[in-house]
Amino acid sequence: MAPAIIETSGLTRNYGDICALKPIDLLVPDGEWLSVMGHSGSGKSTLMNLVGGLDRPSAGSLRVGGENLLALNEDGLARFRREFVGIIFQQHHLVPYLTAEENVMLAQYFHSVPDESEARSALERVGLGHRLKNRPGELSGGEQQRVCIARAIINSPKLLLGDEPTGNLDHKSTVMVMELLKELRAEERFTVIMVTHNQEVATWGDRTIYLDDGVLVREERTRS
Amino acid sequence: MVALKLIPQLLSWIGIVLVLLRGFPGRRSIVTAASISGFVIGVAGDFILFRSFPGTIPFGIIKSALGVSFLLLWGISVATIYRSTGQGVTISWGERLVNTSICAGTGALLTGIIAGAVCACRIPAPDGNLPALLFLVLVAGILTFFALAVEKMLPASLTVSPSGMLAAVVTLLLFSSSSILRLDLFSPLSMKVMKGVHDFVHQFMESILIPDHLFVRPVVWKYIGFLFGKEVGFWGGIVIWFTPAFLIALAIQFERLPSVAHIRQGAQRRRLLAAAIKTQRHRLVIPLFSVVILAAAAYQSSFPSTEYWDPKPIPISANQAGEIIIPKKGEIDLEDGKLHKYLFKQGGREARFFVLMTPEGKLTVDLDACAICKPDGYGQAEGSVICYYCKTLIPLETVGKPGGCNPVPIAFIEKGDSVVIDSVTLINSWSTTVKATARVKEGGK
Repeated sequence: MAPAIIETSGLTRNYGDICALKPIDLLVPDGEWLSVMGHSGSGKSTLMNLVGGLDRPSAGSLRVGGENLLALNEDGLARFRREFVGIIFQQHHLVPYLTAEENVMLAQYFHSVPDESEARSALERVGLGHRLKNRPGELSGGEQQRVCIARAIINSPKLLLGDEPTGNLDHKSTVMVMELLKELRAEERFTVIMVTHNQEVATWGDRTIYLDDGVLVREERTRS
Repeated sequence: MVALKLIPQLLSWIGIVLVLLRGFPGRRSIVTAASISGFVIGVAGDFILFRSFPGTIPFGIIKSALGVSFLLLWGISVATIYRSTGQGVTISWGERLVNTSICAGTGALLTGIIAGAVCACRIPAPDGNLPALLFLVLVAGILTFFALAVEKMLPASLTVSPSGMLAAVVTLLLFSSSSILRLDLFSPLSMKVMKGVHDFVHQFMESILIPDHLFVRPVVWKYIGFLFGKEVGFWGGIVIWFTPAFLIALAIQFERLPSVAHIRQGAQRRRLLAAAIKTQRHRLVIPLFSVVILAAAAYQSSFPSTEYWDPKPIPISANQAGEIIIPKKGEIDLEDGKLHKYLFKQGGREARFFVLMTPEGKLTVDLDACAICKPDGYGQAEGSVICYYCKTLIPLETVGKPGGCNPVPIAFIEKGDSVVIDSVTLINSWSTTVKATARVKEGGK
């Protein structure tokens, strides 16, 4: 078994009186594709935000890629997110007045320095070589999500987080996006944590965990 | 009061130690020990020099050391910009040299010696004020350890290139000396430029067989006279003053980024490039800081806080025999070592002059003007008189001798308890001098 890239112990997140995530112990081996399922408000996004360094836990321990996220200050967390994590959101969050290419280059800019040719080849990898100069409004939902994937992988993250990335897509686009992620993962060997409501999408992963009311209730291996 | 006067020098010392510590990474103990030792040697050297030689020689030695360091900065800056173009030396020999203990120790020691000597010059009569010198050494020692502590808190990414370190150290030394009239380099530099341009124009016109003073029409002088003005000296001095720091900044900007073409992963390639660009930007901080310090030094030199003794000229007249008689004692004591100015008027013509007793106890009568500059007159401060026009310092010991920017001496006799000056000689001498230098006034002002 590969060494764990994510290790949590008693990981908890409270928002005032509300406990969004009850103590969770989780081990994610390096290179695994983990699907996270659960109803709305079950703590899926909270878990993803904690693991991605977007939020801080209320209690417990959290190590990602050997880094103790609780010990990092804001600058350290920003560096961690910049260099270690790629995120794909359901709502894309593309800058509407920038072209597809520029949206990808924006991620490069915040990481290090922009490189147009590299951004172009990333978009070509996700099948958008002919849409480089189009703005998000001129792209379909599936194409926008592929721009998001190019943006998420451009900095070679070790951990790719997807927060219901196919939530707004039709079946055909969903399959296309999942196929693409599968290919990229095989090439880049990053770890995927995919939050989803969709059982079919969850089956693309190696393992699925189920959350209910902030508690990890069950897990199952989806592939041998 | 002395402690307050030393604030610019001591602040410069902190800056120097900080830059040295950063410039010689991993040599903290050597740099600290050598810089403190150097400072002590510099202060002790001042004490011995001022005890052994008259006032002008120690200042001359220290000023020469500052001048040499400025010339060294010029040389290094030119070499640095040359190297940044990819010509000549391609390996970073400077950085390798800097990383040796000998270089770190020697550099810190020499810097400490000059800084200590400059600081000691700020103390009045350093050869007779041992407690103040000891206090200075003590304060400098404490500040060195303060700088050591501050340096540890600076971000690790703030690195200093060897040429940047030299720029910062030299400019801090120049700033430190700029508030000491007799060590200031900027004013003499401006003056040299002004005189250099003056002499060049003069020689040039002579070489093309056009005598410049006699036959050139006044309208032409309006333009040529500009070249003789202090503005040319000032701006020429500014160019020479700032160029090394700008060259070093440019050289850093032109430095080639590391080759990353062999790295397969794009993100890693970009990360290395970004780190190199960041280092380059941080390295620019020190040369740009040097520019600011140089500007402060030039300002300090152009507008010194020193208060000059500049008495209002006393109107005086001649007797029937055309003699101007000034009693040595009386309302004014001519032998008090201060400059005493007089204004003589006769038939619509006037002449300004002063009487001064030099430190050797010799009375001298001089025009309040020199043979080169616009007759703005002289003030007295810190063992010198200063030409208000070109800011040249004339040591009191040399007042009464003709030439250069010295006040033009006037023949006089001492008759009993009075000084007697021939009014015709005075008025003619003034007229000739002002006639020659008025072109500066017309063209340069």
